[in-house]
Amino acid sequence: MVEVGHFALVLAFALALVQSIVPLVGARVGDERMMAVAGPVTMAGFALVALAFVVLMISYARSDFSLVNVWENSHSLKPMLYKITGTWGNHEGSMLLWALILTLFGSLVAVFGANLPASLRATVLAVQGWIGTAFLLFILVTSNPFVRLSPAPIEGRDLNPILQDIGLAIHPPLLYLGYVGFSVCFSFAVAALIDGRIDASWARWVRPWTLAAWAFLTGGVAMGSYWAYYELGWGGFWFWDPVENASFMPWLAGTALLHSAIVMEKRSALKIWTLLLAILTFSLSLLGTFLVRSGVLTSVHAFATDPSRGIFILCILVVFIGGSLALFALRSSTLTAGGIFHPISREGALVLNNLFLTTATATVFVGTLYPLAVEALWGEKISVGEPFFNLTFGPVMVPLLLAVPFGPLLAWKRGDAFAAAQRLMTAFAGAFLAVLVTLLFVDRTAVLASLGVGLSAWLVLGALTDLALKAGFGSVPFSTMLRRLVGLPRSMFGTALAHLGLGLTTLGIVGVMAFETENILAMKPGQTAEISGHVLRFDGIQPVQGPNYTESRARFALLGAGGQVAGEIVSSKRFYPVRQMPTTEAGIRTMGLSQLYVSIGDETSDGSLVVRIWWKPLVTLIWGGALAMMLGGVVSLFDRRLRVGAPSRRQRGLPRGTETVTS
Amino acid sequence: MDAMLFWVIAAFLTLGASLAVLLPLSGRKPVGEADGSHEIEVYRDQLSELERDTERGLIKPAEAEQARAEIARRILKADKADSRSGSNALSDSKAMGVFRMAAVLVVPLLSWGIYAFVGSPALPSQPLSARLEKNPADSTVDELVARAEAHLAANPDDARGWDVLAPIYSRMGRYQEAVTAYRNAIRLDGASAARESGVGEAIAAAAGGMITADAQAAFARALELEPGQPKAGFFLASALAQEGKIEEAIAAWQAMMMTLPPDSAWRNAVADAITEGRTRLADVAKEPAPGPTQQDIDAASAMSPEDRAAMIETMVASLDDKLRQNPRDLEGWTRLVKSYQILGRTDAARDALKRGIDVFGKDSAEARQLAQLSNALGVKATE
Amino acid sequence: MTRKQKRLSIIGGALGFLGFAAALTFYALGQKASYFYMPADLASATLEPGQRIRLGGLVEKGSIVRDGGTEVAFSVTDTENSVKVAYTGILPDLFREEQGVITEGSFGADGVFRADSVLAKHDETYMPREVADGLKEKGLWQQETQ
Repeated sequence: MVEVGHFALVLAFALALVQSIVPLVGARVGDERMMAVAGPVTMAGFALVALAFVVLMISYARSDFSLVNVWENSHSLKPMLYKITGTWGNHEGSMLLWALILTLFGSLVAVFGANLPASLRATVLAVQGWIGTAFLLFILVTSNPFVRLSPAPIEGRDLNPILQDIGLAIHPPLLYLGYVGFSVCFSFAVAALIDGRIDASWARWVRPWTLAAWAFLTGGVAMGSYWAYYELGWGGFWFWDPVENASFMPWLAGTALLHSAIVMEKRSALKIWTLLLAILTFSLSLLGTFLVRSGVLTSVHAFATDPSRGIFILCILVVFIGGSLALFALRSSTLTAGGIFHPISREGALVLNNLFLTTATATVFVGTLYPLAVEALWGEKISVGEPFFNLTFGPVMVPLLLAVPFGPLLAWKRGDAFAAAQRLMTAFAGAFLAVLVTLLFVDRTAVLASLGVGLSAWLVLGALTDLALKAGFGSVPFSTMLRRLVGLPRSMFGTALAHLGLGLTTLGIVGVMAFETENILAMKPGQTAEISGHVLRFDGIQPVQGPNYTESRARFALLGAGGQVAGEIVSSKRFYPVRQMPTTEAGIRTMGLSQLYVSIGDETSDGSLVVRIWWKPLVTLIWGGALAMMLGGVVSLFDRRLRVGAPSRRQRGLPRGTETVTS
Repeated sequence: MDAMLFWVIAAFLTLGASLAVLLPLSGRKPVGEADGSHEIEVYRDQLSELERDTERGLIKPAEAEQARAEIARRILKADKADSRSGSNALSDSKAMGVFRMAAVLVVPLLSWGIYAFVGSPALPSQPLSARLEKNPADSTVDELVARAEAHLAANPDDARGWDVLAPIYSRMGRYQEAVTAYRNAIRLDGASAARESGVGEAIAAAAGGMITADAQAAFARALELEPGQPKAGFFLASALAQEGKIEEAIAAWQAMMMTLPPDSAWRNAVADAITEGRTRLADVAKEPAPGPTQQDIDAASAMSPEDRAAMIETMVASLDDKLRQNPRDLEGWTRLVKSYQILGRTDAARDALKRGIDVFGKDSAEARQLAQLSNALGVKATE
Repeated sequence: MTRKQKRLSIIGGALGFLGFAAALTFYALGQKASYFYMPADLASATLEPGQRIRLGGLVEKGSIVRDGGTEVAFSVTDTENSVKVAYTGILPDLFREEQGVITEGSFGADGVFRADSVLAKHDETYMPREVADGLKEKGLWQQETQ
């Protein structure tokens, strides 16, 4: 029943419209019944979009080529996993996934927000409704996945082979959970501006949403990076490509938001700034969607782009970003700042963090959009690549990374930098040792790289120091320390884990950038190649028939010290006949934290094969560290202190008001 | 039935969605709570958290005291704000009543309105497996072929399956696949005259009617297996004609006429070929006959496939036009039907045949002749 | 220092940092942004030796030469002018004759463009946007089927 899904989508749009207006009017005139509409309508909207999504997914699973979308992006011979993930492996389906996650988050606010002030809850859900209305309209008008085809073709055109990978099952949903998760923060911010008030409960609410969205986005960005690393066969993990930057900017801004929300919750300070960051973060998420979907920037990752749709998203972008910023300009003066603090304090450290992170976001923003501006203004085409970002993003991030271990050690309101530095002596000594070891035993010329290793060690040890000190290491008996460690609030573990992960990621990046070795050569069967002490023997090519592709599999034997075979690496080229497209499947062997990466090219006329081999030391730490950061976010999310108790009923009977402006 | 079910489900969904708006609007007015109470709750939570941290020794007593004082200040502030709140009477106005009604009505009206515009309620879902399993009589040719392909993908050693599929491919104009199918059947079950001549015919069709060396070899093998097989003989003779050896071709055809049984479907085709050959011999200088002549096809085979298809299509179309204005032309009809058949447009061939027969009258000699030719080609006037 | 002075010095520090970042960004844009050229643009362009640029166009038919090892030479053309390109390594999956490519690198003394990266996106209908725009300007663009 394909049309049921189509109808559900249309109905969801009608409900989103109601959700956008009725609760907001209710909150303005103080009508409880109108405000109460928000919850059920949001949940019904989610149920309907979910129904539409499931129907589309079933159509993919059953190869129903009477849908244009299925016909264009699926094939009956495709393995079932890729039929299902193919649902969002195309523009229309991915926008439906976007809408599904948006309505999901709306419903979660409706369910868990039962104890929010009624008018705040109604306004937040109404703002969610605006976003939902805009995107559902976008889907219905320009990107409807339920457009039918009659008579239905008997076979589809298949999914882009690059996307026929497990990565498609994980990366886009995680990324969208992150992108769209920030919509909740945005809605809270806009609601606060409309209400003209912002209080402690607001901050308590925004923090878990920011944490959840941030954790998902961290996972999504990391997963996307790993996917590109192994699927493109170029051996790179980050290309500073516009599409990557599009997901990186909200991550940077979201990280800043996460930290400023802490200050706001604990100290009622930085209110207006936090509000602005919430708006900016979601704006950058929208911008990311626009950049990826419109194809205005040349990217190696952009699939199924369409400029006419880009204009629609651009309109959404302008209305939401422009509108919210205008609202901010108009109303932020009605909010009062609070909480005074000394510059050397936890708050001060977090402000510093925000300064660096937003500056870093700005450099990425400039680097990403500058070519677009140049082309629009002067008609010249330029490209901004890695050298630019190395020169700008690097210098901004390094001082931030240096400062990270200090933050958690400073007290609120007024801290003691000297005492913190004293307590970090061990970590500093460890980092210094790491620099020395790298210089003496790895490479005597790699000064910058050894400093990078030292920086990573500083971050990791700093995070561990923080935990050890909080548990009372050195001042209490060991058993007491353990007990205190277990009793520490989870958010402290989350902080330490995230900072530790940051150190690990840094170490991985330094390892690959400084110590990676690479060898390009033409090999004949039986020949061996050596890279960083590892010897590979090329054992020849075999043809293999896959379910919907043919494959040339090149086998390599990894030889041990005595010449015996210690392992095997298979690298292959696939050819997908339906799309007439070849793909590269890199051969990767993980050895400890490092990887041997083998990518094959064409066979030359004399029967040898062009092979490119990389030795990538510590490369897995890049994504391992990101996973640790994500885990830190999750641990922090489950901190018991984030729950807001329901107001006790004893206080009922007080007249309630909506026009209140508190300070 | 499917469509009926859809409307019922759509109606239920609409009802549910409308109730999501209607029920809260018509519900009992909930008891209001002061917003301030939420805020105080947060602060109370912070206070108890502070106590826990102090107990655990995470915060020094002096810091805890400071923090406690600050939270207390905020609680006082929130209390003050609370007492300033007032109620609003606007919510009970008449305009609001109209607004509420509109909010409820907008759901069904907007959704059915938009759906009427964008939806295709009459189209049932068509999962591939169901399409391949339904009664063959209801299936399109494409579906039948896909079903056969699916069967053969699962049982690639079924020679009979390939035998069935091969001529269908040929008729659909998928000549390359027809060649492969015939060859599969030969590989699995050995060569037969019918299979070999099928290979030859498909190769020739793929080459735009040109009987290539490959095709000739296949026909030759067919004749070895079954001397006097009419299809192979006919095409080999045509190959001679294509090479310009028209006299030899006519001789070969005439020899065929001797051996063909009197009821053979090939007699007409051969007779036709002989006539055409003679005409070509007689008036080479004359204006070439309309429709794709052998020379045209030869020229076409040197072109790219697209150009060739386009050229043949235009020639066939002009012949078709000419016959509409000038219908009493048996030879024209014969050529038209044949051309459509070569192009793989079976429907058009059938249509042309029917029109031709109608022109001459069902029982006329010409109509019978047309019908016989068509039988030989595998086209029937009615299905 | 009084409280006001302290606050001013902090704000000053923050502004100084932002100014530093902005200056760095502008410097980097001037130095590190690489310009995009089609073969026809090169005649009028003044390039310093070793200057990094992006060169885009179509892979000229019949121009791909492999030396039997890892070196590949080909020509990038806009159908009027063409430029020889040398590259060492593995060409992207969809690198084909008469398909759009973008190469990045610099010109050697011999007038051959030494590319250190070759991009041909992983989508069969792909034409790098810069290349497509360039061809459109020259009136050579034809919408590919599909």
